Parts: sequence; C-alpha cells; structure tokens
Amino acid sequence: MPIQLDPENNEIAALRAIAGDLAGKRVLEIGSGDGRLTWRYADQAAHVIAVDPDADDIKTAVENRPLHLRDRVEFYAVGIEALAARGPFDVAILSWSL
Amino acid sequence: MVHALEKIHSLIAPGGVLLDIHPSGQPASIEVRIGSRVTPAGWLHETDDYVEYGWADEALARVIESGLFAVERTGAFEFVTHAATILELRDFLAEGWEDASIDDITVARVDELFSTPERDKEVILRESIKIARLKRMTNAEC
Repeated sequence: MPIQLDPENNEIAALRAIAGDLAGKRVLEIGSGDGRLTWRYADQAAHVIAVDPDADDIKTAVENRPLHLRDRVEFYAVGIEALAARGPFDVAILSWSL
Repeated sequence: MVHALEKIHSLIAPGGVLLDIHPSGQPASIEVRIGSRVTPAGWLHETDDYVEYGWADEALARVIESGLFAVERTGAFEFVTHAATILELRDFLAEGWEDASIDDITVARVDELFSTPERDKEVILRESIKIARLKRMTNAEC
C-alpha cells in the first residue's frame, strides 16, 4: 500500500467550508507543492496560479496536470514577489506555507 | 513572515480573502490500526517546525492588529497520513519532512502492536491543522 495522504478528504472539506464558493474566482495558491491540494479545488475556480519555490515539485505538478485543467491552472517555481503583474486575485491560499 | 503577508495583501483584490492553512503546533500522533481497532503508539517529533508554526501565528496576529486583514472564520481539521508500515512512514518523512522524526520507543511500540497475525493493519499519522479565512481590508475599512 503506498502512502495515502488525507484519504478522508478532511482538508478539502475544511477548505470548502471556509472558502465558500470559488466559482468565477481568480485564485493564487502559495506553497502548492506538487499540486496535491490544487487538484481538489481547481475545478471550481475560474483560474488558478499556483507557486512553490521547489522546482521539482512544480515540475511534478505540471506533469500531472489533468487535461481539462490545462487552460485553468498555471504552476510556477517562483516567489510571490514575481506575481505583481499577475494580480489581483480574489482568493489567496497559503497552503501550509506561512 | 509579516513582510510576506504584506506582499500577499497587495496581490489580493479589494473584497478578496486570504485562506491560511497551517499546522496547529500540537504534536502529531502515531497510531496503529488493526481491523477496526485504533491504538495510540506515540508521537512525531519536530524541532524547528514547531517554532515556525508559532511565528506564523504571531505574523498573522500582527497583520490583523495593523488592519491589513480581519478574521472572518476559523476552523480546524485532522490531516491523516496512512502507511503500511512504520518503515514506510519513516521513509516518507525522510523524503519531504526532514525536521520530523519518530523515536525508537514509538517504533518499538508499533512493532509490538504489529506482531499480530491479522493482515488488515496500518500505521496512521494524525496532524492537527488550523484553517482561517481572513478578509483583505482596505484603508477605508481599517
């Protein structure tokens, strides 16, 4: 059995409960890692920019990006300083990254 | 961290929100499940991360006090990691969570609990996580 992370879906349930409706929202996720959480909410958002300083994780995220999210989710191995021209965002998610 | 939150504030549109997810700082528990029975086996040890969780709380408190954000809602949940063996969990932690360790007493306790002929068993790591929704405030709202 490979490692299973949050198969109970507690994290996405908590995020949905506290975030409310993400429909039509531009989302910035900071600390996305390999997209583990991103995939769980990106379907709802209008657009997602996800960043993480770990280039290997971002590479994994891009490789695993589902086809139907290719136009909706962008991943970058950059810090938030590089995002000034891409904002503003309706929602920013600090994903275990503060 | 405060500087990062100030930068994030500038990236959020007026009326927008910041959702923060980070560990509570309470020790994560290690348990063994055999069939439907779950038995505590010990704790995960962290060193620097506990300090950083405290810094995160302090940074959030400072930007709330300065009027950049206002707390709208808070919550908590358990993030649960399932592993087939304690070795698998240790390897997983070694790959991506260098600050975490499992002491020998906990490993021995897991091994003791695992010494059963039952096949339906696993190791569970249970972390306590905080989540908060903060409204981005404007100068007019401060």
